[in-house]
Amino acid sequence: MSMRLNHLVVSHADSTLVDVATLNFERGRPVTIVGESGSGKSLLAHAIMGTLPANLTARGSLAMDGRTFDLSDRANRRGLWGRLMSLLPQEPALALDPTMRAQEQVAEGAASFTADSSGARRTAGTLLAALGLGHASRAFPHTLSGGMAQRVAFAAATIGGAPVLIADEPSKGLDERARTELAGLLKLHLDGGGILLTITHDLDLARELGGDVLVMKDAHIVEQGRARQVLTEPAHPYTRRLLEAEPANWNHAWARRGAPPEEGGTALVSGEGLSKAFGGQQLFSDLSVTIRAGERVSLGGPSGSGKTTLGNVLLRLLPPDAGYVHHADALRGGRLQKLYQDPALAFPARVVLWDSFGDVIRRHRLEPARLEELMASLGLTPALLNRRPGQVSGGELQRLAIIRAMLLEPALVFADEPTSRLDLITQELTVACLMDQVDRQGCALVLVTHDNALADAVTRRRIPLGIRDLQPQDKKAFARRKKHAEVVM
Amino acid sequence: MTASITTRRAPAAPAARVLRQRAVQAVGVVFLVSTACFAIVQSLPGDIAYRIAAGRYGYDQVTAASADTVRAELGLDRPAWQQLLDWLGDLISLDLGNSLVTGADVAGELGLYFSSSLQLAAAALVLALAVGATGGALAAARPGGALDRITTFWVSGARALPPFLLGLVLILVFSVHLGVLPAAGHGEASNFVLPAATLAVGLSGLFARVTRDAVAQIRQSEYVRFAATKGLGGRLVFLRHVLRNTGVTLIAYVGVQMLILIEGVIVVESLFAWPGLGHALVHAIFWRDIPMIQATAVALALLVVVLNTVVDLGSLAIDPRPRRREVVL
Amino acid sequence: MAPFATGRTGVETGMPAQGGPPALPLVPAVRRRLVPGTAVQGVAAALLAVVVLFALIGPLAWPDHAVQNLSRFLEAPSLAEPLGRDHLGRSVVARLAHATQLSLMMAIACVATALLAGTAGGLIAAWRGGWIETALNGLSEAFMALPALLVILIFSALANGDLWTLYAGLALSQWVEYFRMVRARSALVLAGPAVEAAGLLRLGPVHVMRRHLWPDLRPLLTTMATFGIGSSILALSTLGFVGIGVRPPTPELGLMITEAFPYYHEAPWMSLAPVLVLTTILIGLLSLRSKEARQ
Repeated sequence: MSMRLNHLVVSHADSTLVDVATLNFERGRPVTIVGESGSGKSLLAHAIMGTLPANLTARGSLAMDGRTFDLSDRANRRGLWGRLMSLLPQEPALALDPTMRAQEQVAEGAASFTADSSGARRTAGTLLAALGLGHASRAFPHTLSGGMAQRVAFAAATIGGAPVLIADEPSKGLDERARTELAGLLKLHLDGGGILLTITHDLDLARELGGDVLVMKDAHIVEQGRARQVLTEPAHPYTRRLLEAEPANWNHAWARRGAPPEEGGTALVSGEGLSKAFGGQQLFSDLSVTIRAGERVSLGGPSGSGKTTLGNVLLRLLPPDAGYVHHADALRGGRLQKLYQDPALAFPARVVLWDSFGDVIRRHRLEPARLEELMASLGLTPALLNRRPGQVSGGELQRLAIIRAMLLEPALVFADEPTSRLDLITQELTVACLMDQVDRQGCALVLVTHDNALADAVTRRRIPLGIRDLQPQDKKAFARRKKHAEVVM
Repeated sequence: MTASITTRRAPAAPAARVLRQRAVQAVGVVFLVSTACFAIVQSLPGDIAYRIAAGRYGYDQVTAASADTVRAELGLDRPAWQQLLDWLGDLISLDLGNSLVTGADVAGELGLYFSSSLQLAAAALVLALAVGATGGALAAARPGGALDRITTFWVSGARALPPFLLGLVLILVFSVHLGVLPAAGHGEASNFVLPAATLAVGLSGLFARVTRDAVAQIRQSEYVRFAATKGLGGRLVFLRHVLRNTGVTLIAYVGVQMLILIEGVIVVESLFAWPGLGHALVHAIFWRDIPMIQATAVALALLVVVLNTVVDLGSLAIDPRPRRREVVL
Repeated sequence: MAPFATGRTGVETGMPAQGGPPALPLVPAVRRRLVPGTAVQGVAAALLAVVVLFALIGPLAWPDHAVQNLSRFLEAPSLAEPLGRDHLGRSVVARLAHATQLSLMMAIACVATALLAGTAGGLIAAWRGGWIETALNGLSEAFMALPALLVILIFSALANGDLWTLYAGLALSQWVEYFRMVRARSALVLAGPAVEAAGLLRLGPVHVMRRHLWPDLRPLLTTMATFGIGSSILALSTLGFVGIGVRPPTPELGLMITEAFPYYHEAPWMSLAPVLVLTTILIGLLSLRSKEARQ
């Protein structure tokens, strides 16, 4: 069996969102479409599946097993769903019905479900066990971790035996280990002789999958070829730009990799014997951390390992269960600043940005000219200040957050996953802005990130965190503290 | 294939927790209402004692002596804190006293009032849910369609027409003009129709609106779309996913509307002379029949707690997720 | 696609979009523009204005609402008496004007009291936490289980239809809504990263109040207050209707409906007038509310 997509055009009103000539799909050979958000790559997947939003129109045709489907008719492929083609959803935690047990949600995808539901349930149980989830088949979705939910969703999408699997941004929100697992699952489908189309902004996932890679930009495919070739020797300037934006390939003045950690310097933050348990896990115990002036440190580890929590403990925003944190006098008066993962939540949502900045300027008696100067040097127009946070793009708002932090000439900036929601090119721009300022002001930086390449590119020292399960005797203590933790969260 | 298997606490018997929280609430409510009733007694001026005596013995029999009897009976001559303790002690031992108007045992009458109020509330709720949920689900099938617009109109219409006016209109139309249904009375099935309908009209509009919004929103959810691409047909998706999740939203909303239902019950009972708690309370307030005020007010408050407990347990049964107690608007 | 769909461009705001000396204004150049309502909302607002005007001017134009004239029993409307006279020969329009004024004033006073008390309590509970929050929360839990009408009824039993007990009962039955909303919202806002950042920037409580809490609470509070005025008027008239509200000679909308009901065949204007005023107020407030909710 093979699949062929002919002359697909997706449009909204009179703007064209996807315009692709011909794509061929073969069994066992993965096709991966990479590109940034807004490039139209997800729409392409949904046009094939027949799940485009109602306000978009599609033209073109899909040939499958000798049958041809007109893509402008979104209903003609409904009969194929689950049997011939299937969609692995973006965020599995949202794609599972919160009120139904895992096994049931997998079983209902089986072709035999309406005729023989108990048989379908047995098949689902076997499939889940094969994916290492035998113990979780009776579990409700809210008790599953991200990786487990991903596997349940994979089982539900593939139990119907559909040879065509479309995965739309499947690695969203997954850390490195979960991403490797995901690639394993997708390869499982290929090994069974399936057709795989993956949509992702994650170049590492594309590398792990191999096969063909297509690069999409502004509704068009700008480059395509073997993954190894496209992702190492790109031909198109945009692909080159994309690859250069990967942290591992950065070549900035401040990105001197492998330079020795700066010696001496006064200790700004020193934590002694820190312990903290959270969400059923002992995140860290008896941990001692010192952050010195001018230093660049990263806190790394998989999601849920307590990076952010350790950061908040070091910032004294959260009390440790044991140990203490000392702050140097140099950090007083707002000279300790923080950048957040989602900058839209770091500004008051309902007032224009000018009011937020005006309060900082008035409170600390700053020169308004300094704000102008910083905005200009970070490439932002003053008109942005007349907007509310929700009306500014994520990259621009994160740069505004950097400016707000830098206005107070901090001795230490704590950046909590500041770019994990940004596209590669925007990430590079944002980090460059941050590091320029850090360099210029000579302040210390603590970067929380799950991205090892980013940590390597920016920082000289790393504090890794892992996961340890809570010991039984700790559980009571945890339950006692939980009330407090809920208030703080 | 190793994933971070997060250890999670086994939910500490959620049903037991609901019952515990609601029990605490019930105690608080009883204390509050009972103390308020005590304050009424304390604030009774002399002539009220006369009035109570008049209520009991008839206006022509009122003497200073009979008023003093009333005062002594209410224990108005002892220190206030002692009276309050006695008062609460009597309540705990379920000694609700005798009606100051009829002299009958309050506890004995309360059972009848309670059951007839519960019947009315239940009938109205079932009617409102049946009409509202069905209407809402049908309206959601075609957003912007005729039925959808009718529900919108119905909701605002029902809100602008307070229950007592609606009841009056229904009495005028069905009892006075058409003469098909009785305006007052109790005991026969036809007596239920007008009071229950009066209560149900407003509630069903709200339920229809909530059902419509919930169904429309759940239809757009990731899990419903995923269920469709798994290969489930439209009917199965509706039965297996949309229905239950709509139920979760609707049940939570029914809980919120319990207060409105009980307020409606008080008004409608007075209007239709329905022998329930609300009717008895209004009467008791009119006659300053303190034991009866206390008993009926406590019973009404407890009725709300009981109904809310049932709603909580129902919602636990169909939604396994851990609860957030605080419903943010 | 543009990353911001609703953003204003530099041209619209009179700000240089790019280049030139960036003139940073110390006052925001853009003020919130008034959102024009739909035609329905305009009509609703106009109707409400008429009712308010009637409540303000009516009692001056027809000051005598208590004068009885039994010889003019159930007199039909005329130019001098636009709504005729009731079963005791009293001027219906005078009674209606006084009743409307009473309802509106009571409702506004009750809502203002409940709003202030509830908001203050909610803010204190969310900000301070600790035993204050526990105590206020416990109290609100108990109030949550009490139907507002029950609270008002118990209060009306405290005194014999005095206005102040009705006022206290209405306010007491409503504070808890404001308290719970304000506490829940403020706790969310105060625990959020924006307030955390404000703390690190040392911006102080005034900034948190003015830029974080107030903008977040204001739209909800206006909506709830609009709603609250409607339900206060409704509760007041319900009490009057069942005969335990305002003391009888004082005109009140619900009481007027009860009194007029037996005569609705002979004098329909007598029943219809208070019903019309009541429904106009309620519909008007509801339409205004839908406008608030959309913003």
